Amino acid sequence: MSEEKKSIWQKIYSPMILSLAIRNLKLNKFRTILSMIGIVIGVFAICGMGMISAGFTEEMNSMISDTADTLTISPVGEKVIDGTTTTGFSAKDLRDIESAVKSVTKEYEFIPMYSSTKYIYIGKETTMASVSGMDANDLEKIATLIQGTLPRGSTNVVVGETFAEDNDLRIGSRMIMLNSGGQEVTSRVVGILEDTGVMTLGFSTSSAVVGSIEWYTGLVGDNHGLYDMVIVKAYDPTELTPIDDAIEKKMNGKEDKDSDDTVFILNSYEIMEIFDEIMSMSSIFTTIISGISLLVAAVAITNVMLMSVKERTREVGILRSIGTYRSQILQMFLYEAGLIGLIGAVAGTLLALTAAPIMLMAMIGSLDAMLSLSVLAYVPIGILIGLIVCLISGLYPAWKAANLNPVEAMSTD
Amino acid sequence: MNSIPVVELHDVSKIYPMPAGDVHALNHVNFSIQKGEFVAIMGPSGSGKSTLMNMIGCLDVPTSGEIKINGKSTSEMTDDELTLHRRETIGFIFQKFNLISLLTAYENVEYPLILKHGHKDDTTRTRDLLRMVGLTDGQMQHTPYELSGGQQQRVSIARALANDPTFLLCDEPTGNLDSKMSMQIMEILTDLHAQGRTVVMVTHDPKTAEYAERIVIIKDGEIVNE
Ligand SMILES: Nc1ncnc2c1ncn2[C@@H]1O[C@H](COP(=O)(O)OP(=O)(O)OP(=O)(O)O)[C@@H](O)[C@H]1O
Ligand SMILES: [Mg+2]
Repeated sequence: MSEEKKSIWQKIYSPMILSLAIRNLKLNKFRTILSMIGIVIGVFAICGMGMISAGFTEEMNSMISDTADTLTISPVGEKVIDGTTTTGFSAKDLRDIESAVKSVTKEYEFIPMYSSTKYIYIGKETTMASVSGMDANDLEKIATLIQGTLPRGSTNVVVGETFAEDNDLRIGSRMIMLNSGGQEVTSRVVGILEDTGVMTLGFSTSSAVVGSIEWYTGLVGDNHGLYDMVIVKAYDPTELTPIDDAIEKKMNGKEDKDSDDTVFILNSYEIMEIFDEIMSMSSIFTTIISGISLLVAAVAITNVMLMSVKERTREVGILRSIGTYRSQILQMFLYEAGLIGLIGAVAGTLLALTAAPIMLMAMIGSLDAMLSLSVLAYVPIGILIGLIVCLISGLYPAWKAANLNPVEAMSTD
Repeated sequence: MNSIPVVELHDVSKIYPMPAGDVHALNHVNFSIQKGEFVAIMGPSGSGKSTLMNMIGCLDVPTSGEIKINGKSTSEMTDDELTLHRRETIGFIFQKFNLISLLTAYENVEYPLILKHGHKDDTTRTRDLLRMVGLTDGQMQHTPYELSGGQQQRVSIARALANDPTFLLCDEPTGNLDSKMSMQIMEILTDLHAQGRTVVMVTHDPKTAEYAERIVIIKDGEIVNE
């Protein structure tokens, strides 16, 4: 008769039916709250654990992802040269290592460098830095210059971003170090390197002072021409492990690590993989736990909704007899379940938003990750999951109510 | 009588299967109601009066036989069509009042209007109906539990009239009321009939039945006398 065409929104949203649902929830406040607890805990678990692991991953990735394409090779075997015991890579060692690399790929960078730790005097301050000497062109391959120029010559250096900030260094700033003879050597900052983070798996710029080989040997000496470290960068990171194996085999005689090794290799790709594996395993674990708690919540809600349907059977009969459609009855109970879900899920998400920063602060000591997209995504995800779980839980009870026989329903008490 | 009856029952039976044996609530009933009639249905308790009313009001389906609404068989109608028919054409007044306890008296009467129009009653219709059946403005804001039986029955009459039905089905409308209140309710029903509505009423009380122009007597699920 007067069935005007309705929009989808009008079909989904009916203020009168919503108001009936709200009134019933209010009438049974205690039961409503009890049924919500399950969903609050479930959403809190899924959301909180999700946020923590996303935040943790985010933080880890920001620390190590950039350098997952390098092998850092350090000498461990001792050498006796001119009567003194020392460690380092000789020119022959370097040739051997590079030939091992070449046996796997032609797409690589091979960067030998000197490095040690030194006291640095800047104005009246004294600080420690890791000083390195390498070819300026090589430096460009493992670090990014954000200001100034690459260090060439015997007095120019570049410094890491954090180191520059901490020590108030700018392009043109000067710093003093003592050379092996105890004399003061002044170096001038000509460039700033982009920060790689503290936990980098390759070359870290965090507290780095880098100059040319000429500058380094002038300051520290040349240690019989022995290099302290080699960085191998592969353009295809999946080749890192075969390269790693080839170097181990060539230098240590076998692929397994051992105590009489001559080189130690830090394979950033492998570490990344292990890390990813741990993270994905822990996220599977948390998903299972959260899934179980949501399942428990779902069962509780179905139970409460069945009770609600049973209690309101007579009312459903009356509503049907005076012209309420089956679909509207279905809607009424789904609203009820949906409201429990929505309120419960929002509460659970708010709890997670409180707990996750506390946990993250305790685990990684920083809240930066909290604001990342992958963490904040759990806010809508949590609310949606809670809502959907409740709607699904309410589906069977609602369907049952909608299909009650009006006469029989009305005659119950 | 050559016009199409409002309701026709052809050979209608209703059987409730029970553990102790089937209950034949209606037994091959043939019965029709013309537009504008005022029919009283009488009979002993358990004779099938309410079952018959439920069939006439499209609230239940017969086990066998055919029911026609304005010439159309209900077996050919979907549940939504039957629901729409109840909403738009029929006004139910039940013995047990059957008001919705979550809603106030006013909202109970407004409910069918919202069902029909999809929004709250922005006219004075709800209030006018409640005033007509004798409720005060204060009583309109009460929930059913805060009203007396007579007041509840008035509210249920107002609700039955909300969508201006052409057909009123009353199952013992005065069964729970004292004689003075019963008289008042019957006056209202008589008025509604006089305005052209079809009224079917179940009653135990011969005095109430006198208001009707046709009396049907039912016994053990069969119509025994007209
Ligand atoms: N849902 C049901 N299940 C089983 N039997 C039923 C059901 N509803 C009614 N009956 C039976 O059908 C018969 C007719 O019932 P009905 O309610 O129509 O009687 P009635 O004439 O309205 O009685 P009353 O005057 O007491 O209201 C009775 O025997 C009753 O027990
Ligand atoms: Mg009855």
